[in-house]
Amino acid sequence: MSVLRYSTDEAARSLWRGRRSNLLSLLTITIALFVLGGFLLVNANVQRWIARWTEAAELSVYLADEATAGDRAAIERVLSGSDSVGGREFVGHEEARRRFRRLFPDLAEAADQLGDRPLPASYEVRLALPRPSDEAVAALVRELGGMRGVADVRYDRRWIDRLVALVEAGRVAGGFLAAVLVLAAALTVASVIRLAMQARQQEVEIMHLVGAPLGFIRGPFVVEGIVHGGLGALLAISLLLAVYAAVRPAVAGWLAGVAGPDPAVTFLPWTAAVALVAGGMLVGCAGGLIAARTAR
Amino acid sequence: MYSRGVYALREITLTVGKGEFAFLTGPSGAGKSTLLRLLLRQELPTSGRLVVNGRTLTRMSAKQVQAYRRTVGFVFQDFKLIPARTVFENVAFVPRVLGQPLDVQRRKAFQVLKWVGLQHRLNAFPLELSGGEQQRIAIARALINDPALVLADEPTGNLDPDLALEIMNLFREINARGTTLLVATHDRELIRRVGKRTIALEHGALLERT
Repeated sequence: MSVLRYSTDEAARSLWRGRRSNLLSLLTITIALFVLGGFLLVNANVQRWIARWTEAAELSVYLADEATAGDRAAIERVLSGSDSVGGREFVGHEEARRRFRRLFPDLAEAADQLGDRPLPASYEVRLALPRPSDEAVAALVRELGGMRGVADVRYDRRWIDRLVALVEAGRVAGGFLAAVLVLAAALTVASVIRLAMQARQQEVEIMHLVGAPLGFIRGPFVVEGIVHGGLGALLAISLLLAVYAAVRPAVAGWLAGVAGPDPAVTFLPWTAAVALVAGGMLVGCAGGLIAARTAR
Repeated sequence: MYSRGVYALREITLTVGKGEFAFLTGPSGAGKSTLLRLLLRQELPTSGRLVVNGRTLTRMSAKQVQAYRRTVGFVFQDFKLIPARTVFENVAFVPRVLGQPLDVQRRKAFQVLKWVGLQHRLNAFPLELSGGEQQRIAIARALINDPALVLADEPTGNLDPDLALEIMNLFREINARGTTLLVATHDRELIRRVGKRTIALEHGALLERT
């Protein structure tokens, strides 16, 4: 009889016998992995939005109302001749108004009362890849800002950089929190399995006395830990899916209001979900090993 | 020797021959259980040498200890049966945790239970059995691997005199098959009735040999 089969049988028996205390361990690991999964979910979405916003207009050149066709042609010449520019899109007064209405439907009426051209026309400029240096972009911004017909130049990269820095800080804090919770989960699994070991103290003693290999003595506790971790991860993913389904419409609506309809809200990629389950099993395995080490 | 300089056993030179049946006797605290624990390799002597079946117990790796224990059967006063497992599972537990195939586990467990006369109680749980029956299960478990040596620590301590004699008869049969037996007991009447070699201990010292 293989160690694995014996360990699996015994772990199943022990899990059933200690189902009440196992719930505590399962709950802890579920919470830890739910937080970790939630963090991964938010992170994956934010990263995607940032990548998309980075690809979108990074430089906005707002035109003065009195800008002439000649001024526009001069601006376009500068944009076409710059190595820092990857592409551009002209947004006329009407298009600007349409976008405003879509983004801020509540304020659309107020904007209409401001005359024919409540919003300025603009060029939305996408930077070239690979990214030009900050100095090159700053020089381009200065040049465009000094041109006739230009009312203002906004370099959107700054707020994206700030957002990236904010997300990075969030990632570090979230990672730390998740690590603490995962450690707590591993220790809880170890404690619960130690309780199971107390219940099987006599069996462990007999196994030692008959010369059972350590794999047979410790294996069931390690398998028990792995099952705890795997089940906890599956529960965490189910819970995450339920929360995701509940809040997705609200988040998607808010996001459309802030950044347009493009950035979608998606669930964790399947690879991340599989990694979460594997991670849960690993944490459980660590807890089982910690407990099993005392089975001497 | 214990950490505070007290000796559990001192200056003991003793040989038990292959296939011998010997009693280990003496009052409580004489060192009988300590000697058995040394022979089960649960304890190590502070000094001296212990040799069983050509193996020096004082110089063994963890793996060698495991291998050695597979050649030794043990029986305790409190039976040490697993209450949540049936009679059959208790006995088959040994080959099971040694990784033997399922059919071998079943065959060996049935054979040995038949030998102790409890094949009809396969599915009973230990607490449903009498003390004598529980000890017979423990003996069946000790014998399932066909050990060269069986160590028994007060195996009749919890049994009435008739049942105690019944267990001793079982030990005699085991011994007749060539198994070496070392039985610790302070029941001198029982020793007299069985009539085998007696090794007496007192205050950790060897007192007499008969």
